[in-house]
Amino acid sequence: MKRILNYLIARILLTIPMLFILLTLVFVVLRVMPGDPVSSMLGGHAPQAVIDAKREALGLNKPIFFQYLDYLGQLARLDLGESMNFKEKVSTPILQKLPATIELTLAGIIVALGIGIPLGVRSARLRRTWQDSVIRFFANITYCIPVYWMGLMFQMLFGVFLNLFPIAGRVGTRVDSSEFDRTGFYIIDTLLKGNFTAFGDVMYHLVLPAVTLGLTLSGVFIRMTRANMLDSLKSDFVLATRARGVAENRVVYTHALKNALIPVVTMLGLEFAALLAGAILTETTFSWPGMGRLLLERIYNRDYPVIQGIIIFYALFVSVVSLLVDIIYAVIDPRVKL
Amino acid sequence: MAENMKPTEVESRRLWSPAGALSSAIGAFSRSAKRYRMEWWILVAGLLIVALILFMTFFPGLFSAYSPNSQDGPQLKAPSPGHIMGTDNLGRDVWARVVYGSQTILGVAISASLLSAIVGIPLGLISGFAGNWADKVLSLVMDSIYSFPGLILAIAFAAMLGPGVVNITLAVAVVYVPKYFRLVRGQTLQIKEEPYVEAAKAIGAKRSTTLFRYVFPNVIATVVVVFSLNIADAIMTEAALSFIGLGLPAGIPDWGMDLSMGKKFLPSGTWWMITFPGLAIMLLALGFTMLGEGLAEILNPRLQEY
Amino acid sequence: MKRILILALGLAMVIAGAGVFAQANTLVYGTTDKVTDMDPASAYDFHTWEIFQNINKGLLTYTPGTTEVIPGLAESYSSNAKGDEFTFKLRKGLKFTDGTAFDASVVKWSVDRVAALKGDPSWLVTDFVKEVVVVDQYTVKFVLNGPIAYFPTIVAGTPVYFPLSPKVYPVDRIVKEPAELEGGALVGLGPYKVTSFKRDEEVILEANPGYYGKAPAIKKVIIKYFADATTLRLAIEKGDIDVAFKTLNPSDITDLAKAGKLSYSKLPGPFIRYLAFNTDVSDFKDKRLRQAVAALVNRPDFNQKVFLGQNAPLYSMVPQGMIYAGTDFKTVYGDGNVAAAEKLLKAAGYSAAKPFEFDLWYSPSHYGDTEANLAEVVKVQLEKTSLIKVTLKNAEWATYKTQWKNKQMGVFFLGWYPDYIDPDNYTAAFAGTSGSIGMGIFFSSKEWDALFEKEQTSIDAKVRADVFAKVQKMWTDEVPTVPLFQGNLNIFTQKNVSGVKIGPTLIFNYDVVSKK
Repeated sequence: MKRILNYLIARILLTIPMLFILLTLVFVVLRVMPGDPVSSMLGGHAPQAVIDAKREALGLNKPIFFQYLDYLGQLARLDLGESMNFKEKVSTPILQKLPATIELTLAGIIVALGIGIPLGVRSARLRRTWQDSVIRFFANITYCIPVYWMGLMFQMLFGVFLNLFPIAGRVGTRVDSSEFDRTGFYIIDTLLKGNFTAFGDVMYHLVLPAVTLGLTLSGVFIRMTRANMLDSLKSDFVLATRARGVAENRVVYTHALKNALIPVVTMLGLEFAALLAGAILTETTFSWPGMGRLLLERIYNRDYPVIQGIIIFYALFVSVVSLLVDIIYAVIDPRVKL
Repeated sequence: MAENMKPTEVESRRLWSPAGALSSAIGAFSRSAKRYRMEWWILVAGLLIVALILFMTFFPGLFSAYSPNSQDGPQLKAPSPGHIMGTDNLGRDVWARVVYGSQTILGVAISASLLSAIVGIPLGLISGFAGNWADKVLSLVMDSIYSFPGLILAIAFAAMLGPGVVNITLAVAVVYVPKYFRLVRGQTLQIKEEPYVEAAKAIGAKRSTTLFRYVFPNVIATVVVVFSLNIADAIMTEAALSFIGLGLPAGIPDWGMDLSMGKKFLPSGTWWMITFPGLAIMLLALGFTMLGEGLAEILNPRLQEY
Repeated sequence: MKRILILALGLAMVIAGAGVFAQANTLVYGTTDKVTDMDPASAYDFHTWEIFQNINKGLLTYTPGTTEVIPGLAESYSSNAKGDEFTFKLRKGLKFTDGTAFDASVVKWSVDRVAALKGDPSWLVTDFVKEVVVVDQYTVKFVLNGPIAYFPTIVAGTPVYFPLSPKVYPVDRIVKEPAELEGGALVGLGPYKVTSFKRDEEVILEANPGYYGKAPAIKKVIIKYFADATTLRLAIEKGDIDVAFKTLNPSDITDLAKAGKLSYSKLPGPFIRYLAFNTDVSDFKDKRLRQAVAALVNRPDFNQKVFLGQNAPLYSMVPQGMIYAGTDFKTVYGDGNVAAAEKLLKAAGYSAAKPFEFDLWYSPSHYGDTEANLAEVVKVQLEKTSLIKVTLKNAEWATYKTQWKNKQMGVFFLGWYPDYIDPDNYTAAFAGTSGSIGMGIFFSSKEWDALFEKEQTSIDAKVRADVFAKVQKMWTDEVPTVPLFQGNLNIFTQKNVSGVKIGPTLIFNYDVVSKK
């Protein structure tokens, strides 16, 4: 236990330089950007005196290096600062949009695993048959399908032509989200309130975005599961089980799969960054009010503090997930000594 | 890992010369054609797709009678014999835009991959070979960038640099530098320990000679395979950037941009505006992926882990 | 898979049947606009102003759907002979929804607050008003910096002049969310009060029982904020909302109008688009080149291609529907006049071998996603002559603004929503020396400035008509800008909704709407 704790502390300490490096990079990149946040905030009529006053108030007339120091000082106090476009704390819009992104990402993972693992197992079992070829081809294709394009195709097919699913937003216009919105996780909120109509609507809106995101990532899991299943099926342990006369299905789905899944968990951690990138595009396609849309919106307005805040959140998000994956890995695989 | 290597590969790692590499590659191909039948087909299919699109890129006039920017067609017309993929809202021929758009996306993706290779490979070589504090710092920086979602980084850079072919190329290139760095550094660390490198050192070869004569050629073989996969990735990134409006200015035919334009007409049911540019992106990325994977599995199964 | 499909279908039906807003006195209104700061001292956009117009009242106001100024919180007003002092007689016995009494001191407090806080729209007070004087409890006098003919339209149309409750708004800082207000609610003297506020999601307004005018038929207005035009279109199409206003895509408007299931009205709006030239340092310092561009532009062509015919070609900076509006560019240049342009370009020394090459700038998202298409079509129009070669360039809005200030763009697309409804705001703002700098045009002429001053300080309609006729004529010669098109307001409502009147003022009064 103590060892795990030490490891945890080391891991957390290691994320700090990573955050720091990303932050510095983004900070510099942003300040080099042409475009002045102040003139984007003010109308064309603002007199120079007002513009200067605002620049002064925002600290934009200091040299970049001092702005950077100021910013680091602020961060050390766990303060992300204030938005330049609106009079709000940076954390306000981020925390508001974060649940939507998490909900979408989790749903995406579930779909990706739900498709990837069974197909991967099947592909491994039927190695070098036509089914294997089809599944592997499918895996290759999903990797090459732009997630937003698949989203558009689904919108066109299921939204416009068949009129089966909504193609935008988290809930319908008729559902009053202010009635249940507490944590921002609509699935949880609606259930807490016992509002099943709204819950149904939230799930209904989640279908297309989650399937889109999940499908494009399923290829990676198919390939990973297949490769590990092949190893696992060849292992002495499985051969022994088979020899004991355990039914083939049981051998495959319980014994072999269990072993094969361990690397898949690691893969999940590695693929998480790709998942977040896919989520941004899915959010754009489905008008999903998450962090990705927020990021794009604020980039157009040069709202530096919010952009930096979002990057920090994404980086934290990635670090936390990879940490979690490591822990899970350690728990499920007794061979791993931390 | 090393004990799994097939003899041919170990040989090819020893002393590198173009002719030797080619002959051993041909040997590997012919020997593996039987054993890796499927991979072989994947490779051939990938090669065909890439070759076809490259041909289209260089001779667009052979494929399309229309100019991609000519607005003389009817507006929003479904595919018909006159316009096989229909027309967009300005009356431009969708097929012509697909044909000419390949120039943009291929140009950006290939130059971005080259650029990141040019930066990433030397850094990885030196870092891995030197292995001092600079290596530690560099690795930390590269790992930080690598662990972060690449697209988000590209978005930040594209927004900073503003639209334009050169700028979008740079934004895409930044994302892939760590990939080459990590690959090359890892390989260098391994090769550094190989007996023939040790031997070269022992007989008093200069550091630079060791690096360029013995380490670099062996690293480069693996890079070639990754390069093809990387182009596929860069294609996806470029298309994504232009889809969200951070790509090129109007006037240059671009698949991602055409998709975002078509998105606005989605409820009107103009399916041809979004179907064909997307298919094109997929096909092109697929071609390079298949090419890379086929090469990787036939030449060097070890690569899969990267 | 089949089971999932059936489940989804079932779900869809449950949802479709549930919770439709059937009440006749609730109006659900969808828009892609955004609310900014809930403070007249800071908000500077039409949608937020629209909300202020409904929860507050000006001393003067507009008859809904027209540009006619009528008494609001003031029963009457008068000006001195010179036109630099306006005196308002206020309605008596009015109370804000928080109980604060309305009188002259409240008016002075509100206007002084805007000036003191120096928010974005504060120039609409400070440029014109020298002092607000409380004459007696129900009489207030505005002493102006000089005579201003159109002062009543400013008082009626701009929320910076709206009286606010001093007990609710803090005197020393700008308020963003209603929650920051004393008592946590927006209170005013208008027909509605805000009862729920969720930024980017929805704002709910309910009828204000203390309103002095006729009680509105619609008791509750729910404003729903949509992330994009496509979603807005689907919502009105499916009957989820009663009104869709600002801004649908051209293709959506065409489809919805064609389907005929909704009431549709199309009105000339106050919004104009134009090409601006840097007349100071770029190639376009030579006015022949500006004239050539003016001649080549083909308005009906891009209006059809880009907007599917939904906007109106604009042949003068003063749009149709506005007093004194002309069509001078039509008579002087027409559309797509290649012959005239070639003559001008040749005179300026260009030929097919040595064409005039320049960058044409646009900002891809600030004016909606049709902008790239507009730029592409205009490029083709300009290149109809072999004497011109255009490269398109774009920059996001923040960069764009910096670039025009730094004189880095020669010719660029811009648009204009008026601050107040007067031709002055469509002319002096671009070609008057001080206004022109702010727009990146840098046009300056003593003759023009004198004309603008004459028009601004005169209250004689004849004098003003003459000046504007002359300025619009001169515009075709100097061409500081090329007018392109005038935005139409496209409003879709369900068939049972009536009384949506949005005119050139762009003010949407919810209180005159009714629903069967």
